[in-house]
Amino acid sequence: MKRILYLTLFVSFIFALGAPSFAQNKPKLSQPILITSAGQSADVTLAGMLCKRLSLTAKTIPVAKASDLDSAKTLIIVAGFSSKGLGAAGVSREQELNRVKDLISAAKTKKIPIMFMHIGGKARRGGESDDFNKLAAEASTYMLVVKQGDDDKFFSTIASKGKIPIELIDKIADAAKPLGEIFK
Amino acid sequence: MMKTNRIKILLILSVLLLWVQVWNPQRGLAQQTEVTGKAAVSKEAMATTANPLATQAAIDMLKKGGNAVDAAVAAAFAIGVVEPDGSGLGGGGGMVIYLAKEHKSVYINYYQRASANILSLNYVPQSDSRSAKAILVPGTVAGLTTALEKYGTLPLATVLEPAIRYARDGYPIDETLAKIMLDNSDFLQKYPSTGSVYLHDGFPLMQGDTLRQMELSHTLETIAAKGRAGFYEGDVAQTIVNDVTSNGGMLTMDDMKNYQAVVTEPLHGTYRGYDILTANVPQSGVSILEGLNILENADLGKMGHFSTSVETMHLMAEAIRRVYADRSAFLDDPKFESVPVQGLLSKAYARIRYKDIDPSSVQPPDYRKTKAGNPFNFSNNPGSVPGVQQSGDIDSMWDDVDEERAGSNLRENDDVFNRWGGRKKKTVIAKPLADSTSLKAVPPEDTSKKVEQEKPEVLLMDQGTIVQPKTMAKWVDMDAGEGGHTTHLSVMDKDGNAVSLTQTLGTFFGSGFTTEGVVMNCGMANFSITTAANSVKPNKQPRSSISPTIILKNGKPYLTVGSPGATRIVSTVIELIVNVIDFKMPVDEANKAPRFLCQKNDDFLSLESRISPEVQEGLKKKGHQLKLFGEYDLFFGGAQMILYDQDTQTFYGSADPRRGGVAIGD
Repeated sequence: MKRILYLTLFVSFIFALGAPSFAQNKPKLSQPILITSAGQSADVTLAGMLCKRLSLTAKTIPVAKASDLDSAKTLIIVAGFSSKGLGAAGVSREQELNRVKDLISAAKTKKIPIMFMHIGGKARRGGESDDFNKLAAEASTYMLVVKQGDDDKFFSTIASKGKIPIELIDKIADAAKPLGEIFK
Repeated sequence: MMKTNRIKILLILSVLLLWVQVWNPQRGLAQQTEVTGKAAVSKEAMATTANPLATQAAIDMLKKGGNAVDAAVAAAFAIGVVEPDGSGLGGGGGMVIYLAKEHKSVYINYYQRASANILSLNYVPQSDSRSAKAILVPGTVAGLTTALEKYGTLPLATVLEPAIRYARDGYPIDETLAKIMLDNSDFLQKYPSTGSVYLHDGFPLMQGDTLRQMELSHTLETIAAKGRAGFYEGDVAQTIVNDVTSNGGMLTMDDMKNYQAVVTEPLHGTYRGYDILTANVPQSGVSILEGLNILENADLGKMGHFSTSVETMHLMAEAIRRVYADRSAFLDDPKFESVPVQGLLSKAYARIRYKDIDPSSVQPPDYRKTKAGNPFNFSNNPGSVPGVQQSGDIDSMWDDVDEERAGSNLRENDDVFNRWGGRKKKTVIAKPLADSTSLKAVPPEDTSKKVEQEKPEVLLMDQGTIVQPKTMAKWVDMDAGEGGHTTHLSVMDKDGNAVSLTQTLGTFFGSGFTTEGVVMNCGMANFSITTAANSVKPNKQPRSSISPTIILKNGKPYLTVGSPGATRIVSTVIELIVNVIDFKMPVDEANKAPRFLCQKNDDFLSLESRISPEVQEGLKKKGHQLKLFGEYDLFFGGAQMILYDQDTQTFYGSADPRRGGVAIGD
């Protein structure tokens, strides 16, 4: 009996080793979805593409404001800094940070759950990206991250501290499965 | 009992392992981007490019006994494979070569050129500037093979081997390319021939993924076997022509066959006793020399570096903005238009431009009202320019045209001036479009639609059309926030030969159109569609910012320098030269130093954020409005520099930390 108990515990712990890669407590989120950027990288359009392929009801507004939340039941923030994107949007870095902060605040007030996506990998880490990454990730209730961007456990640390479920995927295209599970 | 103990031990180990994974996740380092840019040092030779694989290709050629030209050509072919967004067979460029044995220098202009039938093209700037319609006749293969034939020593097949290998076997995508592919992921989907190479299931490949370009390797092999004819004639050329034209572009077999790189002299100037050899027109070496000539009137070394001295920064900003104003007004293809090169290079003219600068404040307060000068007064033969007046009040020669209404080239907001005296065209009234119909000239008597000031001629095509947008109020600056497209490489060998080479596709991934594995350029976007200056004509080259430069000291190569970065190339190269010559910076420090841009067609003085706060405040007090960029921002280019210390006979190479390159010494 004791052997079976120990064995069961042992097997459970082995499974638990992979915990960061599993979406613990994967939420069920509702549509319609508002997708926006934190940092104005083009990754936000890739997220929109993923949702479109899954036939999810989603609208992509890279510079979404609080008023854009009116018809949304979930907010997806896709983080990653791009100076090209900021330039095209005509906003400064500070303006973008403030916009994201205001949007997060409005979402929380309206009790709209926030999902965080980081799909740019290493290219959207470090430097100026991480301010946006941290801001949006910490505000979220679920994180979907391409593994390459978490080599240093930046996102895993945030997830752990905030007790936020996090799912790590290999490639951008792999996001389709968890998105489908969460929204359908 | 033993078994139980073993199970207990396993259990404890499992718990420990779990603790490490879950409860101590910070075992990984918080990666901070390291700013590289340390100088490479060698006593033999040096190469520096924006990609380690391309630099290695150069070094491989030097090790095989090749010279700087062999090395540069190998690197240029290779960089087109490993940086497919920045240059390649489908683009063009320019290179300055210094040949030690002959004590001579040459400039090879292999920039893109308009088709002979370009006037039959239907082209809408707003929608077509990044499409197959924007493709001009590519020059890279002609330029590189010409350089090799005339000045290299190794066979073409040898020089092409690294590029072929990288295309065929693949290479890991680096951070810079990964970011660019992410930024352009929408664009890469536009044509299946491009998406099939650079996307996976519709999404961009990521850093570390292996990129193979099999079709490109076949094209390179054909060139290796047949020389330039392998690209400009035969099956490859026919396929390229067919694909481009079937997608709306204008390119013929005659265009391809007739394309020739132009071998000429570089422009020559001096700066504080150094000889400056740089790109000839219509590339922008003339602007580099003009800028240095203006600055030569001040003792910058005494004033202090521009990153810490308001006075130096203000002077340089004001000088460089005047250079851009002149560039917009005068730089053109000299085969088609008169370009006052002599005047622009004149030290006396530069002195006048220098005197125009007010050290206490921005003049004019509105950057966009910065006027071009009058270099024709400083040309020996101004009469060679039709209609040029030889005297008169410079100011009265110019109409300050409302730039927004005048429109401009999408990538470089060209100033719209009537050329001083010359090339004044009949006024044509621009009619706002209700739809995408051709714009027709309205007789001048129709004053109901006459604009307030003189307008430039609207380019009307013989059979095709170039359609003006409904409003010219806002041209989207495609380069806003980016600057890494185009690429530069520098090579110096042990015999004293040097090559400075810049090549491009126009903007990231050029037209976005790929044929025979070759990403094609978007050179049409470099023409000015609505102005007389830099206008589209058959077989003409658009002006370009590229400014590869070699500096001689005591008649021998001292510094090779150049950078990508669209319009920022001019300001960046001037700043780099000033860093080395005026401020005696080692080449890696010069490359790392903060950068800025001040041009006429901007409202802001753009700065890297490392410029000191005191300088920033001081600039604001002088009337500048500032726009801050990142600490090491790709917007300001990716320079590759080599300095040869003639006293110690040592090469120092520096690859720009803003871009993922490396300098390697042989």
